[in-house]
Amino acid sequence: MAEQVIKPDLDFVKGIIESGGESLKKCYQCATCSVVCNVTPEETPFPRKEMIWAQWGLKEKFQGNPDVWLCHQCNDCTAYCPRGAKPGEVLGAIRKQTIKQYSAPSVLVDIVNNQKLMPLIFLIPAVLVAIVIAMTGTLGIPDGAVIFTKMIPVLPIQILFTPALIFGVAVGALGVKKFWADMKLANGVSSGDLKTSIIDTAKQVLSHEKFKDCDESKDRYTSHLVLFYSFVILGITTAIGALYIDILHMESPFSIGYGTPVKLFGIVGAAAIVVGTLLMINNRFKNQETLGLGSYFDWLLIGIIGVVGFSGTLAYLARLAGIGMVAYPVYFIHLVFVFSLFIYLPFSKLAHMFYRGAAMCFMKYSGREAQAAAVAQPAVEAPVEQEPAEAEKKEG
Amino acid sequence: MSELETNVLVVGGGISGLTTACEAAEAGYSATVIEQETFLGGRVTRLSKYFPKLCPPSCGLEINFRRMKFNDRISFYTLSEVENITGSPGNYEVKVTAKPRYINDKCTACGACAEACPVEVPNPFNLGMNNRKAAYIAYAQAYPFQYAIDRAACSGDCGTKCKEACKYDAVDLDMEPRSFTIKAGSIVLATGWKPYDASKLDNLGFGTSKNIISNVQMERISAQNGPTGGKIVRPSDGKEAKRVAFVQCAGSRDENHLAFCSSVCCLASLKQATYVREQYPDSKAYMFYIDIRTPGTSYERFLNTVKADENVSLVKGKVAKVYDDPATGDVIVELEDILAGKKIKVPVDLCVLATGMQPTVSEMKLPSEVKVNENGFVVMDNDQKGIYAVGCAKDPADVAKSVQGATGAALKAIQTVGRNA
Repeated sequence: MAEQVIKPDLDFVKGIIESGGESLKKCYQCATCSVVCNVTPEETPFPRKEMIWAQWGLKEKFQGNPDVWLCHQCNDCTAYCPRGAKPGEVLGAIRKQTIKQYSAPSVLVDIVNNQKLMPLIFLIPAVLVAIVIAMTGTLGIPDGAVIFTKMIPVLPIQILFTPALIFGVAVGALGVKKFWADMKLANGVSSGDLKTSIIDTAKQVLSHEKFKDCDESKDRYTSHLVLFYSFVILGITTAIGALYIDILHMESPFSIGYGTPVKLFGIVGAAAIVVGTLLMINNRFKNQETLGLGSYFDWLLIGIIGVVGFSGTLAYLARLAGIGMVAYPVYFIHLVFVFSLFIYLPFSKLAHMFYRGAAMCFMKYSGREAQAAAVAQPAVEAPVEQEPAEAEKKEG
Repeated sequence: MSELETNVLVVGGGISGLTTACEAAEAGYSATVIEQETFLGGRVTRLSKYFPKLCPPSCGLEINFRRMKFNDRISFYTLSEVENITGSPGNYEVKVTAKPRYINDKCTACGACAEACPVEVPNPFNLGMNNRKAAYIAYAQAYPFQYAIDRAACSGDCGTKCKEACKYDAVDLDMEPRSFTIKAGSIVLATGWKPYDASKLDNLGFGTSKNIISNVQMERISAQNGPTGGKIVRPSDGKEAKRVAFVQCAGSRDENHLAFCSSVCCLASLKQATYVREQYPDSKAYMFYIDIRTPGTSYERFLNTVKADENVSLVKGKVAKVYDDPATGDVIVELEDILAGKKIKVPVDLCVLATGMQPTVSEMKLPSEVKVNENGFVVMDNDQKGIYAVGCAKDPADVAKSVQGATGAALKAIQTVGRNA
């Protein structure tokens, strides 16, 4: 067996420990986690191997490793872990490290996810939005009926938000491109059926079928599904709005009567975002004992999405009630958080949509998923006999 | 209420307790053993063989019984439990209640009462794997060699069949529970252990299939005086169990169950693998482990001997799922073969969960001077002046270590007596 030189990256270990994986070092490699996990492939299953790589600081092992993204953090592993090493939380922390690796500039991942800098990361967008409002609308409470375009017209919103979204998506896309190349390299995969893989992945994501495999936190299926579709709905309604206003130069479809279906669709989306966030927070607290409460990285995203949903809904209700004193400030907060959601898209936990999507797609592209299914079929397989001495070398 | 006196009072008549009593008595002090079962010998009586010599445990027990029989400084009470302990070193008062045996000392253990008894109940001696009568003797070599009647199991509608069957007038169905107080100079807690409840391990299938058993049950299946007469078979259908999986750390070293290592289960499973291999030349034994713990030269040698058998596979990886395969009747054990880096599913006839030892000392009412740690073992430190713990009341231990510890504790106990005389 070829000799290997271990190059531990201690900063990598420290990074994991600091971002929610503080239980990492408790792992004693029993592999209960890999067995109770319902979403792992049979061959080279996770998260046992990831736990030792992370303990030893073998950062390069995570280069192009799709497995940490196949993890849906059901936390079945954490519930059964005999040592309280919380593999679910550790993998979450490792994912943060890989986001940092692929979303450039990587320093933004640290800034966005640094609890001490939290006021700053919202203050900057707030100042920016305030400047645009001061330049184009009314920075204050406009008189008369509550109409949000009095505070900020449609055009400046588009000038501000469209580039923010494009920036977020572009950084994510570039990250995925690098990640994809690394996955191909690390796994020795040169070709595959990309189109079918993408279609199959989309089907899997839309149905959320992987979430159904979770035992410990079945409720996450519902909360994530609701939240996911709230994003889909709100994305579609926003796109329709842009289509009407910018391309067709028609009246906004959000006015009652003229655009009732789009409007109703949007209200459903807003309700879903609020309900989904509440469900998610509730699950976290309910399962706190066995699964842990989650890291700052998790809560930041839940927080941003929650504020977006609540402020949007509240602003809408306050407008209907004609309470300008509430409607305008809340609308301002709403704008700030939507802007934050967009620009921090590839740097917050929301980046999982890029990298998990890519990893799930790669599983199909590389044929590993099909292979795993084939292995799972016959129940019988003899264990491999191996001398411990040899094995130690292998682990090394 | 009668008052009795003894130098050393031993709570628990297992191998640790008996050794303590014998050692103290042979040093010239009186010793009294309080045992809750109908017989002495404790958990050791249920073993088929000792590791690493693979000799019968009855041998070591009989030596102790013989020591007791010929030493009038030792007395013992079966079916008895300690209610409470008061007093101080040199002057303890121990309140004991004894349940009635319903059989008096005229019993010759002829077995006529059991023959006449119409009631059958699951046999706790064999961990429920067969039945016994309500009139019973725990096992053929039980000491004291005397039957007992399990009145809770009596249906009552049999009249007095056992009493009528007894030629020696040994059945006394009117016996009453009694309480008495014993004055003792020092106390030794030898309360031992019980097998960890495997049904708490919801992923390991215990209770879902008859062919998923615990290591203590495996010991009974392999024992000559066990429910199968020593034939290793699947409990579900009596088929020869030629493929047997040993699941190590079933609930041990696990903060959700027993956080500690019981220190004996690896050796016990290696030993049980030899039972299987000896009985069937074409058998296969798998032992799935996190780490194999066999400290000490002789234990290490034992591991190497068992490992040398090519039909014993030691596989690194903790089993985390066990279930029945209805199609084949096999039990499937699922694990990650860590060295191969893949999940495997191994079909076997019999799956043995190597469950750990749960200390039972905290089930009794302890005086405040006795401290119990988070795992339920008595903390022994230098402050201990009159009450000592031995065997598995103190630490998870095998028989050899328990016996050594008991000898040491006997010395501490008689020192207490001497100091306060």
